[in-house]
Order: sequence, then C-alpha cells, then structure tokens
Amino acid sequence: MSTWIVIVAAGLGSYLFRLSMIILTSRIRMPSYLERASGLVAPAAFAALAAAGVAGACSSLGITGAAAPLAAVAAAVIAVLRTGSPQAAILAGMPALWVATALLPS
Amino acid sequence: MISLRADRSDFAAGARAMVPWLAGIVPFGLVIGVSAAQADVPTLAGWLTGPLIYAGSSQLATIGMLDAGAAPVIVVASALIINIRLIFYSATMARYWRDTPRWWRLVAAYLIVDPSVAVGLDGYQRLGRGRGHAHYLGGAVVLWVSWLAAIAAGAMAGASWPAWLHLEFVIPLYLAGQATAKLTKPAQRRAILAAATVALLALSAPLQLGTALAIAAGVTAGLTAEVRR
Repeated sequence: MSTWIVIVAAGLGSYLFRLSMIILTSRIRMPSYLERASGLVAPAAFAALAAAGVAGACSSLGITGAAAPLAAVAAAVIAVLRTGSPQAAILAGMPALWVATALLPS
Repeated sequence: MISLRADRSDFAAGARAMVPWLAGIVPFGLVIGVSAAQADVPTLAGWLTGPLIYAGSSQLATIGMLDAGAAPVIVVASALIINIRLIFYSATMARYWRDTPRWWRLVAAYLIVDPSVAVGLDGYQRLGRGRGHAHYLGGAVVLWVSWLAAIAAGAMAGASWPAWLHLEFVIPLYLAGQATAKLTKPAQRRAILAAATVALLALSAPLQLGTALAIAAGVTAGLTAEVRR
C-alpha cells in the first residue's frame, strides 16, 4: 500500500515543483546558489545510486562472484571514457558481465 | 491566445524537433521499465512513476529505493530533491506563460521536463510567444507518449527475459555510465566522487538514508569546487 502512496506523493510534489514558479514568479527570486546546486543533483544521484547498486550486487555474491559485476563496471567505465557516450556503459558492461559470470567458478 | 488549430504546423515542427532527443530518451525509458519489472514493487506501480513523477532519474531512484525497502518518507524526499531542478524550469517557462489561460498553465506545467523545456525554449526564441505555445506542446506530447511507451515496453521485456541475462544490472551500469560521462567538468567530478564515496560508506545506514546523504554530500562538494574556482 505504501508503495502506491509514495509514488503518488512523489508525483504530486513534482507537479507542484513544476507549477511553483509559474504561479509565484512575480513574487519570488531564486537564489543563485540553488540554481548552481540543481545542476549537480543529477550527477550526484546517479553516482550514489550506481555505487550502492554495484555494492549491493557484489555483497550478495561473495568474493569470487563479486568479480563479475566489478569487471562489468570496469568495462563500462572504460567504454564511456573512450567513447564519451554514456550508452556505451550498457553495451560494454552487460557482455562483460555475461562473459565473466560464465568464466568464473560458481 | 492559445489557438492550436491555427498553429498545426508549429505543433508539427515542435514534434519533429523532439525526435533527435528520443534516441537518448527511449533507452532510458526502457531501462526504467526493466527496473520496474525486476524490482520488488508491482510492475504497474513502477510504470505509474512515468505519468506521475515524469522525470527519469527521480523515477529510477524511487523504484530503486522502494525495492531496497527504504522508508517512504526518505523515498519521497529523495525523489523531490532530485527534481528540484523542475522549479528552475518552472521559473524559465513562467515568463512565456504569464498571460495564458489557467488550463494551459496546468497542462503545460505538467509536461515540464529537461527535453520539453529545451525544445520549447528554442521554439519561443525563434517563433515568439504566440506560435511558441504550439511548438512547445508538439514536442512535449511526443516526448510524453514516447516515454510512457518505452517504460511499458521495458517492463514487458524485463518481466519475461531469462535470469542469466542479469537485467537487474542494467540500471547500475546505466547510472555508472551517466556519472562517468559527466566526469569532465571539475564541479561535477567532485560531486560524483563525493556522492559515490559517501554512498559506499553509508551502505548500512538505516532507512536507506545513505542515498540522500550521498546526494547532499555530492552537491556540497560540487558547490565547494565552484566557489574555489
């Protein structure tokens, strides 16, 4: 039940954000530091969720099993750094994960 | 006045201007659909993040944190922190919508998100306010339909693909790719490294507070870098 409430609450809050300045624009001026901060939220959130996701996947697999997701992340990071395209992460990382999982002793 | 019947060509031009954006957006929608199917939340609830929250990174965080069993308040707070940028988009669009009818502002505001604002602003700057409304709506509607269809397609694929594909790992890889691509700018680099470090250190934090703490640490570190420069 709380899953649905969370999604509706996050949706309602997001809609109010979208409407906020359209209603208040003549009365409020946004501080500049908040504007700078908003550009940093998405990269920070992506990094935090990625680190927690990879660590979560590794912790459930043990030391040997964790090598496969770590190899996939390494392949993904190298691919993005070399190509400059974020989409390369999945294109390089998933095959690396499949190969590493197949090669590692289970 | 809003007169979409008279501005059909501007509506179509806005829709066409959105097409190049779809190359990056559709895969993101597919990833979110896959994550909704793989996560321990009802798939319909995961899909509903599309029409309700309608902002990819916030949707992904919401699904991921619900899956991890985070406290509801922490999930909502994190989703809204990620969406703070929508307030700035709202301020940006407000100047063009000042004298429009209330129904228009309610609908147009709902469609505000990164690509629709970018395409919409381009239309307002090139065509002026009158014709810009139809241009904005054309781009925003194409984006909305494509986004929800991509999430639905991802959810259907994610539910039926074999376990050995480890589709649950698509999301961390996608996020790692997005973060890595942003490492080129000093402030963002600091934000990313600080957020990832704090997220790892706070893995065992109660209520999944680690993600919110990591985002706060990352933003603070990034702002510090900007001030020093």
